Amino acid sequence: MILLGRVFLALVLVFLYAPIVVMMVMAFNASPLYQLPMEWSGRWFVALMDNRRLLSASGTSVGLALATSLIATSLGTLAALAFARYTFRGRRLLQILLLPPIAIPWLIIGTSLLVFTFWIGLPRGWPALLVGHVALALPYTVILVGARLAVVGVELEDAARGLGAGPWQVLWRVTLPGLLPGIAAAAAFAFAVSFDQFVISYFLAAPGTSTLPVEIYSAIRKGFTPEINAISTLIILLSMALLLMVARLYRFGGSR
Amino acid sequence: MRCRLAILGLTGPAYLWLLVAVFLPLTAMLYFSVLSETPLGNREPVLTGEHYRAFLEKSVYRDLLWRSLGIGLEVTAFCALIGFPAALALSRAVPGRWREVVFLLVVLPFWSNGLVRTFSWTMVLGAGGVLDRGLQALWPDAPEVDLLFTRQAVVIGLVHAYLPYMILSCYLALQAVDDSLILAARGLGASHWTVFRRLWLPLGLPGLVAGSVLIFVPVIGAFMEPRILGGPAGTVIGTVIEDQFTQTFNWPLGAALSFILLAVVLLILLLAYPLRQRLERVT
Amino acid sequence: MISTMQRLGAGLALLLALGGVATAQQLRVLNWQGYGTDEPWAVEAFAEEHGVEVVHDYFNSEQEMLTRLRTNPGVYDVVLINSSYTQQAVSEGLIQPLNPDQLSHFEQLDQSLRDHPYLRADGELYGAAWVWGATAYAVNVNEVTPIPTTLEALWAPRFSDRLGWRDDAVESVQLAALALGQDMNSPTDLDAIKARLIALGPQIRTFWSSEDQWNKYMAAGRFDIATYWSGSAARSRKAFELPIRFVIPEEGAIGWFDGLSIPVDAPNPELAHAFIDYLIGPAFYVRWDTEVGAPAPANRGAMAELPEDAFNRAVMGDPAVTGRLTFMAPIPDQRRNRYLELWQEVKAAIVQ
Repeated sequence: MILLGRVFLALVLVFLYAPIVVMMVMAFNASPLYQLPMEWSGRWFVALMDNRRLLSASGTSVGLALATSLIATSLGTLAALAFARYTFRGRRLLQILLLPPIAIPWLIIGTSLLVFTFWIGLPRGWPALLVGHVALALPYTVILVGARLAVVGVELEDAARGLGAGPWQVLWRVTLPGLLPGIAAAAAFAFAVSFDQFVISYFLAAPGTSTLPVEIYSAIRKGFTPEINAISTLIILLSMALLLMVARLYRFGGSR
Repeated sequence: MRCRLAILGLTGPAYLWLLVAVFLPLTAMLYFSVLSETPLGNREPVLTGEHYRAFLEKSVYRDLLWRSLGIGLEVTAFCALIGFPAALALSRAVPGRWREVVFLLVVLPFWSNGLVRTFSWTMVLGAGGVLDRGLQALWPDAPEVDLLFTRQAVVIGLVHAYLPYMILSCYLALQAVDDSLILAARGLGASHWTVFRRLWLPLGLPGLVAGSVLIFVPVIGAFMEPRILGGPAGTVIGTVIEDQFTQTFNWPLGAALSFILLAVVLLILLLAYPLRQRLERVT
Repeated sequence: MISTMQRLGAGLALLLALGGVATAQQLRVLNWQGYGTDEPWAVEAFAEEHGVEVVHDYFNSEQEMLTRLRTNPGVYDVVLINSSYTQQAVSEGLIQPLNPDQLSHFEQLDQSLRDHPYLRADGELYGAAWVWGATAYAVNVNEVTPIPTTLEALWAPRFSDRLGWRDDAVESVQLAALALGQDMNSPTDLDAIKARLIALGPQIRTFWSSEDQWNKYMAAGRFDIATYWSGSAARSRKAFELPIRFVIPEEGAIGWFDGLSIPVDAPNPELAHAFIDYLIGPAFYVRWDTEVGAPAPANRGAMAELPEDAFNRAVMGDPAVTGRLTFMAPIPDQRRNRYLELWQEVKAAIVQ
């Protein structure tokens, strides 16, 4: 049974990674039209260093994702705490109101933000992008931290309170540490949601302020070379490093 | 009193953000959906229901909506069928040290940028692509594999893109299951299948449902994967709506179609709500 | 924990700096990708002479171009507008009049294009005629023999599942109209056009929506015959060395000419004029056509400087050929929406 499970998991991983590997390998093909057979070359990585457009978009994407992660995780953790530790009238309603960013296809959220900013005369770009990204990440962070809260249970907190700890102490020294895997998961998820976010960024990006997914899509639609593969390869390796760093800190795999 | 202040303080920021980012824009778009044309510069639009009427009168929009829903269901089903067992395997069949590594490997595709993953599939699926050439290499008489620009390609691409969501969601639910429950059941002589059916499945169901919602909704509004992988077969309601905003500049029509899509989504979620309630009671 | 936060903060600051908008003076151009204005040597030459960085944004259709202009006021300096859309841009207040005195090469332009009514309104000039060409189809000469000569051939069984078609409503309707012998600029029987396009379904292997896609598909052998533009065919042959030939069919082809315009709130109108002047001049054009491949020039002098066997001089300069072209006229909104609807219906019907 265990063996079966491992084999299945291995197959799933192959499925998940095969196209990514193909994409990375094609980054080293000299032909600008992706013609086979392969001619190994590093020219696209070199060309990338001059591609101000892509580099700038990458910077925007990363910065935006970090900001989103920070804001969304903070707001989400606060809200999750309210839901888990208090019962109040309107709680059900608030929980339902958290659904729209998940319940509504991103296409609609993106276009309505476009319409809204257009209507009230706000320019698109960084502020609009941040507003959209955090809004998208919020429900996920609330759910993820909330899921952890539901599992952690109140016994420890009750015990601490029983031993005389004040509410702030309970929060800092009992609740939050127990929540750490959930918070870390939420932060990582929010980063991923923002970094990978294409739809909302597509409608809210302005000429000169674009994110990497939007630039890549534009390139695919209008004309691209393996430079796109090159930058994607770099981004994957970079995020691998980032993810390993986060994992080192927060031990994803395990604590029950 | 302190309680209420605490609640306000805890939930306030998040909901204020949502108000500005989601609810107000939706209202703006509702207003746009009843305008005759995009209000721009020297145009003077009037109120009209013509766009909603267009949906009812022209079958093309309805057909495209159906297609989107169908693709959504297909993708969600595949993600559930593959993702749940994978999450189960991850939480039970992999020893502690490795679990972290494998978990990271599963989550990493999030970071690889959905667009490039999608476009990588074009290199794998098309005639002369990796799949075709690989098959030819193993079995020289094989028929040509040309999956690109078909509905299947779109489904494959979407499953690939959203599978990590399902695995993650199910894993979070399954991982919290108490070992002792399982040990007790096995100790009482329950078979693997019974343990799965009566323990894993019900206990993991919240994760499954959450994952399904996380997947179904973006998929039915998807336009990027259908465009890149689907070609003509990739015309779905999402691409039509996107066209209105980036090409034809008929924002009111796009807004109206968006709201119709939204109504369908809400309907489905409302139907799924009792299911969710029952799950909450169980767990 | 603290040191990690510090590191993250520093990294964030660095990345945000990278993500910031460049501060050097920029000339922003809106055009098709690979359509001359973004040639590295052209951009460099202009940058050297005027000390300004030329930055591009691209579109895949005239519709998208108009939408970009509408939703980004005060952003673009130069925009390429197909002459059949110039009037619409004027009536929407999207572009400003040009000053011919600031265009030293203006008098060299062919009079019929230079003074064409599509580019003028209220006695003012709104677009500088730049290039012109035809829309029909191109074939892979290595795979297709004999080379067809009619539009009707696109429906021939030998091209079943081998045809590439541009995903564009207006172009599709106009090509079908030509094939049916209707007036492409005011077709009389849209139902017949719709039926003819649906009949094209089994022929179509893939739709394409950018020149880059066209090149990649043709190179990969995805299609052997596909609708295309004359200038792009020249570029695909020369710059990408694809074995193709452009065909101007007997029934006729779509003719078009493009003008360079300046949007209404352009940040740098002076520089915009300078760039346009450079583009319509012979120095730019001859290098563009001989090194890369381009549509036919509006500049008579430039045409004369091309080698005698150049496609643009030999074929496009031949009146017998150009007589078969029907030039695109402006399309009123309502009719265009009808075309868009028709095309959506055709696509929905074609899909496997």
